[in-house]
Amino acid sequence: MAIQIVMDRTGDSRHSFNPHDVQELAKAERRFHELTNAGFTAAVRTGHGEISQIRSFDPAAEETLFFPRLVGG
Amino acid sequence: MFSFRPLSPGARSRIKAARALFIRHGAESTPEGRSLLLLRKWLSPAQREQFARRGYFEVVGSESGKRYRIHVGASVNVCEIDERGRPREGLCFMPIGALPIGDVMLAQKISLETCEGKVRAVARRFTPNGFYFRQARPLG
Repeated sequence: MAIQIVMDRTGDSRHSFNPHDVQELAKAERRFHELTNAGFTAAVRTGHGEISQIRSFDPAAEETLFFPRLVGG
Repeated sequence: MFSFRPLSPGARSRIKAARALFIRHGAESTPEGRSLLLLRKWLSPAQREQFARRGYFEVVGSESGKRYRIHVGASVNVCEIDERGRPREGLCFMPIGALPIGDVMLAQKISLETCEGKVRAVARRFTPNGFYFRQARPLG
């Protein structure tokens, strides 16, 4: 199972999906685009604590984290 | 009237496990606790250890290679540091929405490590001093 983690005021919301299920994968891709279009940044872990931003849906990513747009304080 | 018998090693480890379970359950039942668990999971091993020991962790900017220190907090908690670890310039930025502290710190870490230029473009500058970075206890 893969997971999309969306930061929110409860800590986070988690959406698991089976990457081998076409319908679930399509739903996850839709969610990815909805969130990134709304200004969220998507990030994945690539190695020992290394993180990279992704700008297109990665069906192979086991865990994708989304956080809202940044603003100055 | 009362006597204290030493606990057997087995009992001691059961008590320790039960205590850890209670702490974990407590942490997962609050937004702050959940966000701190997520933060710890996404920190590198070195950052995790630094956070546990010192109450802050350091990241390297993706474009300049500058080092930044992220303290516990949701605002005025990030500063650029010099080669000797002294605060140079404070950067105040955070994700929109009322996110718990761990989420804010994780978003700050990822942003500095992956799109430092964007962060520096939006961040408000401040002069860092001890007041901003007082640390009561490590949360890592």
